[in-house]
Amino acid sequence: MSGPLSSSPAAGAFSRRSLLLGTLAGAAALASGCTSEPGGTADAVTPAQVDRLAAQVQVQEALVAAYDRALATGPELAAAATGLAGQARAQLDRLRAAAPGATSSAPPATGTPASTTSTTTTTTDAPPDAAGAREWLRTRVTGAADAHAAACPAFTGGRAALLGSISAGLRGQAGALA
Amino acid sequence: MPDAPSSAPSPTAAEDVALQSALAAAHTAVWGYAVVGAALPLEQREPVTAARQAHRDLRDQLTGLLTSRGVEPVGAEGGYALPFPVLSAVDAAVLAVTLEDGTSSAWAWVLDQATEVGTRELGVAALTAAELRAVGWRTAADRTPVTTPFPGLPAS
Repeated sequence: MSGPLSSSPAAGAFSRRSLLLGTLAGAAALASGCTSEPGGTADAVTPAQVDRLAAQVQVQEALVAAYDRALATGPELAAAATGLAGQARAQLDRLRAAAPGATSSAPPATGTPASTTSTTTTTTDAPPDAAGAREWLRTRVTGAADAHAAACPAFTGGRAALLGSISAGLRGQAGALA
Repeated sequence: MPDAPSSAPSPTAAEDVALQSALAAAHTAVWGYAVVGAALPLEQREPVTAARQAHRDLRDQLTGLLTSRGVEPVGAEGGYALPFPVLSAVDAAVLAVTLEDGTSSAWAWVLDQATEVGTRELGVAALTAAELRAVGWRTAADRTPVTTPFPGLPAS
């Protein structure tokens, strides 16, 4: 079953290239979280968006800190989740790049989308012990995913795509930690 | 004298184009999962059935949404070509990963192009569901890592 399933050369050839690239006309711009608006005007970040994105940076900073704490509880979890921690850091880096000036490490401010979930990590939170660290971490990952998903619809353009993608990626992490 | 018809583009024109891509990806996934299922033993087909139904549901939702906007929804292609031979359970899992990664790319583009809040909410949900399925299939395909930090977006 290696050839085309249709005898028509005009049939939509399904290939990894066509499927993945056909929907990514703006792939390069998406990578940076900065694209053009649908109408063609620049997707300039507004002060309000900077504030909201700063809150999501703080959520991600707290998650990265949670990974550090959880991985320090024992070698078993460290072996299983070091790669996930690296992905969380990569997400933080890209969020920061999309949120110029958003570098605070303070907990999310009350009233922002980041604080709408009770499971979002704060900087004073800590895993109970090695036995409970995995579930503790999974709960924090889920909380961060919830926060990014809740914030996403308030953004436009590449920043909406970035937040939605990070949220989805964290859901996958939570599944891997289950 | 009646006003001339407006030539202004629809405010959702760019979003609609992206939704058409997501619909095309759904058509492809519905077809592709039939291939995935055929390559797996009966006792391993439950996630295939669930995934295929999820893509059918998305397809129907997108078709309804576009139709409600007066946009002709894209249909399924008359045929598709496999990107590689699917001869084993691992091949089937890799094909499923390809289908879900393509779906994620389509929905990330929808998020980028969306003008409606409701569309972005739909986009987050669809992108998340695709990544969760992809994690399962990457595991089945023995791929590492099984997670990706930026589903639907380029790696860098």
